[in-house]
Amino acid sequence: MSTTFDLAIIGGGPAGYVAAERAGKKGLKVVLIEKGELGGVCLNEGCIPTKTLLYSAKLYDNAVGASKYGVEAKEVTFDFSKMMARKQKVVKKLVSGVGSKMKEYHVEVIKDSAYIKGRSADGIAITVGGQEVVATNLLICTGSEAFLPPIPGLGAPGDLILTNREILDLKERPESLVIIGGGVIGLEFASFYNSLGTKVTIIEMLDEILTGMDSEMSAMLRKEYTKKGITFNLSAKVTEVKGNEVFFEKGGKTSSVTGEKILVSVGRKPNTAGFGLENIGVELNRGGIKVDEKMRTNVPNVFAAGDVTGFSLLAHTASREGEVVVNNLTGRNDQMRYNAIPGVVYTNPEFSGVGLTEESAKAQNIEYRVAKLPLAFAGRFIAENEGGSGLCKVLIGAKYGEVLGVHILGNPSGEIIYGASMAIEMEMTIKEMEEVIFPHPTISEIFKETIFSF
Amino acid sequence: MAFVVIMPKQGQSVESCIITEWNKKKGDQVKKGEILFAYETDKASFEEEAAVDGTLLELFYETGDEVPVLTNVCVIGSPGEPVDSFRPGGAKAEIIETIEIKETIETVGTIVSLPVSLSAGSGSVSPRAKNLASKEGITLEGIIGSGPGGRIIEQDVKAVIESHPKTTPLARKIAGEEQLQPASQGSGLGGSVKAKDLTAPNPIYANDFEIKKLSNMRKLIAKAMHQSLQNSAQLTHHLGADARRMLELRRKVKKANDNGYPVNITINDMVCFAVVKALRKFPQANAHFLGDSVKYFNKIHLGIAVDTDRGLMVPAIRNADDLSIQGLSNQMREIAVSCRKGAINPELLSAEAASFTVSNLGNYGVEMFTPVINLPQVGILGVNTIVPRPKDLGDGAYGFVPYIGLSLTYDHQALDGGEATRFLKQIATEIENLEFEL
Repeated sequence: MSTTFDLAIIGGGPAGYVAAERAGKKGLKVVLIEKGELGGVCLNEGCIPTKTLLYSAKLYDNAVGASKYGVEAKEVTFDFSKMMARKQKVVKKLVSGVGSKMKEYHVEVIKDSAYIKGRSADGIAITVGGQEVVATNLLICTGSEAFLPPIPGLGAPGDLILTNREILDLKERPESLVIIGGGVIGLEFASFYNSLGTKVTIIEMLDEILTGMDSEMSAMLRKEYTKKGITFNLSAKVTEVKGNEVFFEKGGKTSSVTGEKILVSVGRKPNTAGFGLENIGVELNRGGIKVDEKMRTNVPNVFAAGDVTGFSLLAHTASREGEVVVNNLTGRNDQMRYNAIPGVVYTNPEFSGVGLTEESAKAQNIEYRVAKLPLAFAGRFIAENEGGSGLCKVLIGAKYGEVLGVHILGNPSGEIIYGASMAIEMEMTIKEMEEVIFPHPTISEIFKETIFSF
Repeated sequence: MAFVVIMPKQGQSVESCIITEWNKKKGDQVKKGEILFAYETDKASFEEEAAVDGTLLELFYETGDEVPVLTNVCVIGSPGEPVDSFRPGGAKAEIIETIEIKETIETVGTIVSLPVSLSAGSGSVSPRAKNLASKEGITLEGIIGSGPGGRIIEQDVKAVIESHPKTTPLARKIAGEEQLQPASQGSGLGGSVKAKDLTAPNPIYANDFEIKKLSNMRKLIAKAMHQSLQNSAQLTHHLGADARRMLELRRKVKKANDNGYPVNITINDMVCFAVVKALRKFPQANAHFLGDSVKYFNKIHLGIAVDTDRGLMVPAIRNADDLSIQGLSNQMREIAVSCRKGAINPELLSAEAASFTVSNLGNYGVEMFTPVINLPQVGILGVNTIVPRPKDLGDGAYGFVPYIGLSLTYDHQALDGGEATRFLKQIATEIENLEFEL
């Protein structure tokens, strides 16, 4: 006996649970299938737990540096296991929050592995935990997992070799940590353990950390962390792992570094195998599910959203993609746009950006003008960041002055970057931006100040 | 006593109007009720009538000027009267500015919001419309104006803006500068039109026609023809007349012309002559239908449809029943020439001047048509081409005989089918038995 649904969703991460919530709210009969915990990587082993830990680290940093602000905190210490426990509590709270939302919108949640059996006139048949569900539409958001590069000697993730998953389950703070891959994940864990006094070494294959972000600010952030004690090896290719020792080649020279733990964060790969995608003939593209701007796959009534598309591996991208699917299913014409997706690196200071970077504008032959202003031009930044520095960079179109990209290094840029996203989404030019009123004194004013410097 | 015309205040929210056309110029005599000038607000257009008789002494504004409401526009009076004291000055303007009425916009006049059509292109654009269009990055190309003579007014541009999805500031800027058009469905936030959704108007298909204003004459014809069909119960009977007699006479005329006879009597002249003769016997067709009465004419004033470069003219040949066929022929020729020259006495062109009309399309090969009555006349005869038709020639012998087609349109309000048919038959009989001396 099978149950029929308007929409079946495989994967309960930010794409899946948001789509389920929106679809349920619009009255669709929805089933959400998740083999693990609701919330996906983001809630369970990504965004949320890392931000929780990073906040603890930031508090500790602030306490240690409090005297700069006239606050004397003596013998500041931290309790690693308490930090980890709090992280668990936060995750649990948010995961259960997702669960109650599913109840609120009458989404049926099945916690088991899904397997797509095939298509028939009735819809798409999926077996899950011994039962069969049939749905008119199927949304695949099975996410991604850490990619382990084929490095000689690199074993499976476990005690020594860690991915974002294992590192969040550490019981004790390692004395030293080698991080292969200087992307967002690598940098955030580097920042956390650096704050706690771990000796951190980053090995990055490219010539700068944080590919895709503004490279000028990436370099500034790298220098900031070099001062704080992190060792960066850029343009360095890991050639072998022997136990705790990681060998890498740089400028024709092979060196090695030893770490108590080794974090591999070189990228992620979409989860497309093991759940019967081939049974309905869904087409893949560079390892991810191929979709159009409405998140449709090549198979009618089958959609994909989130990391499984292999496109923009961000939770907020995933959620929006899920919403695009639901909007189109419920009669609202909608399409995914990738030009105004903000990115935030939760280092200390935070590093945020949205839209074109100078590098991407050049690559696309887009003529732009750029203005830069130190964050010290915002009064509140000076008040709250003793000895700190930061930068705001705005790119506009050379001819019409439309906002193309905004990049801010400094706290709390992650909280204000959405303003720039709106400007880009709405194709505002600096003329319109100049008329927007920003609250004073805030760090967000730096955006307006930079606009006025054109 | 000089009379000052002020710009009326058309509704609470209207602060100024634009003069779109002056119908009178300085020094013109104006009569009470005549249109002085046309003007428009952002929503509708109006005409200002003269409230008194007199001479238009001075115009303070020109066509295209934006005039604050309640400001003096022109002065009517007797020649020589001083007007300078009425000239709008700073003081008046100040008064206008202090009137600050910001209430809900009232519906003023007729708001004509045509559906946005992206195809037409009319010449004149109001300054308000132009301003708004350039501000919003709307191309005026293809907007059909709802103002006088298809003039694009602000309301038309607003309608275009409203009918389009929201346009981003960048898209607006680009559209304005590069003359691009927004797509009907945008790819931005909530379907808003982004820069990449703009397309160039197709130059081939967008400009495949032009719109021209009607000439005054065309307007009059249009009005008369439309009113004729609206205000009468007209229908047409078709009948053929044996044209052998007429063709024989025509051959004789030609021969006589070759021998120096001065009048070239044409088939049309003969038909008209026959019509006059038939009208004498059917006075009910030689009449004007006036609604509650019928005006029967003692004389026959024959209207002749004349095709000219400027359009159709229907001059009347007064007292056609007094004319010989030679006289009729000569008059018809003269009157046609003066029509084509534009030298015709306008009084002869009025529909009231003729008591019945003939329209001949036979020369062009038309075999049958339904002419439109020149009201208040009760009938019009359409003359068609001559075609051979089989005819019983007696004793069981059939032969082809030339027939001329006659299409009589009559107003059933004035005539019934029977008498109309008898009248038409009479025309045919007159044609078939035509006689005249050369």
